[in-house]
Amino acid sequence: MAKPVVKKEYTLSERIYLWEILKGMKLTWGHFWFNFKACWRPGPHTIPTCWQYPEDRTREISPIFRGEHMLQKDDKGREMCIACGMCAKICPAKCITIKKAKRKEGEEDKYAGKTYPAAFEVDLLRCIFCGFCQDVCPKEAIVLGQEYEFARYTKEECLLDKRKLLLNYRRAKEEGKLRPPRKRVPVVPAPPKPEKAEGAEAKEGKAAAVGKAKKKPVAKKKVAEKEE
Amino acid sequence: MDDWLIAIIKVVGIWVWVLLIAVVMTWVERRGAALIQDRPGPNRAGPFGLFQPLADGIKLFTKEEIIPTNAQKLLYIMGPLLFSLPAFSAYAVVPFGDKIILGGKEIILQVSDVNVGFLYILAIGSMGVYGVILGGWGSNNKYSILGGLRSTAQMVSYEVPLGLALLGIVFVYGTFSLRDISLAQQGTFLGFLPNWGIFKQPLGFILFIVAAYAEANRVPFDLPEAESEIVSGYHTEYGSMRLGLYLFGEYVNLVTISGIIVALYFGSWHMPYIDLGAYLGPISWGIVSFCIFFLKVSFFLWMFVWVRWTLPRFRYDQVMGLGWRGLIPLALFNIFITALFIQLTV
Repeated sequence: MAKPVVKKEYTLSERIYLWEILKGMKLTWGHFWFNFKACWRPGPHTIPTCWQYPEDRTREISPIFRGEHMLQKDDKGREMCIACGMCAKICPAKCITIKKAKRKEGEEDKYAGKTYPAAFEVDLLRCIFCGFCQDVCPKEAIVLGQEYEFARYTKEECLLDKRKLLLNYRRAKEEGKLRPPRKRVPVVPAPPKPEKAEGAEAKEGKAAAVGKAKKKPVAKKKVAEKEE
Repeated sequence: MDDWLIAIIKVVGIWVWVLLIAVVMTWVERRGAALIQDRPGPNRAGPFGLFQPLADGIKLFTKEEIIPTNAQKLLYIMGPLLFSLPAFSAYAVVPFGDKIILGGKEIILQVSDVNVGFLYILAIGSMGVYGVILGGWGSNNKYSILGGLRSTAQMVSYEVPLGLALLGIVFVYGTFSLRDISLAQQGTFLGFLPNWGIFKQPLGFILFIVAAYAEANRVPFDLPEAESEIVSGYHTEYGSMRLGLYLFGEYVNLVTISGIIVALYFGSWHMPYIDLGAYLGPISWGIVSFCIFFLKVSFFLWMFVWVRWTLPRFRYDQVMGLGWRGLIPLALFNIFITALFIQLTV
């Protein structure tokens, strides 16, 4: 329903309008004078609301900004990705390609999981930076970093292979721009089981497990344990 | 021979000077708008972006000239010329300084001191509307025609209060010549006020400035252009230097109007309370009076920009209502009061 229009009675000075114009001009003069003074400050970032982009890169980026991808390593320097393929599966733009390989003897200090990606490609030209891949990743291996300058000269350069993804990680680590670890969703203890038909209960449990899997792998494990 | 040379130098000099101001005004307009809106504005070309108008000019000159297929070619080509020529010629009677004595010859700093200066300005000023309406009609575009029609109605209605407001000044000073009026504004009035037109005709000044904003098609009366409703109106179909002529013409109009305001209401080249002409030599006084005049002009030029980024656009019927029901009765009242005063005091 539309808002009823309340007609305001204007005072005489408002109806003459000139005084109101002067008030408005005072306001714009305030803005002008503030920014005029700001223009004389040293440095590229003078006017507070404007970042002069190529010269001025001091603008703060949120730690959870979704920029260029990277593949993370754990504390021992091992690659965390287990090539489960969930990121490739959930990707709406279908820009991730993974080739799975099994870890051999003697490679335990190189790969954290039993399997690892032999090839991991992200097509930046297709990616929409939705961040589903990092949300779904059970190991927090693929994350989106803070890098936002994607312009490249050729299509091939826009194809991030595994080497470039790991390089991105190394650079982010050197610059201290690593993404903070994901917040764990607290596990809510399961409500006492009501007495039901066995079939329905099993279905419910399964649905809950699937629903939670996307968000928190830990929860999935617990639910699985409880089911056992 | 000498007189001819001086006349030509004056004409060319003031023409170039006014064009220069118009060019710088495009930069002032953009930077001023930006600063009012909390952004830096064009700051890349040269120091403070001062070469931006040059870059714009080069862009306009090198663009392809397109005439729309269904446009009326003659009118389409004539439009910008008819708009810009009166704009360029209107400054002829406006003074730009007192006088300068070079080699024993007294040179008036005014292209020509016509004794009917006012009528010349009004006549030339109303010629400009032909450029707008012909450009709008010749483009064969409905937005352009709307812009042209709006401009015609608006300029015709606001010519009346403009003329009536000027009539008040004529009553006070008893002359049509802008130089004589400027000279008459020296000294003080009632003992403490500068002898300026604004203190003798305060209501007339308000009427004049409102009508002048409407005549110059500036915000809040920029209905003929109205970027957001009719896609910049009469010059929608124009490009390259033809568009440039329209834009230049507009800024030259601003300079002329500011010059008239200063000459009539703000004491022309006189400083308040001090008569600098008595202390300075003839040549230096010429230069100083020129500087004082253009300092005042630049304030009014800045005010055009300032008001533009403060006020929203009036609705069309509001513009017409203000013109016919507000300004014209007030202007008549102003004339009545002025005439009464003069009748009683003189």
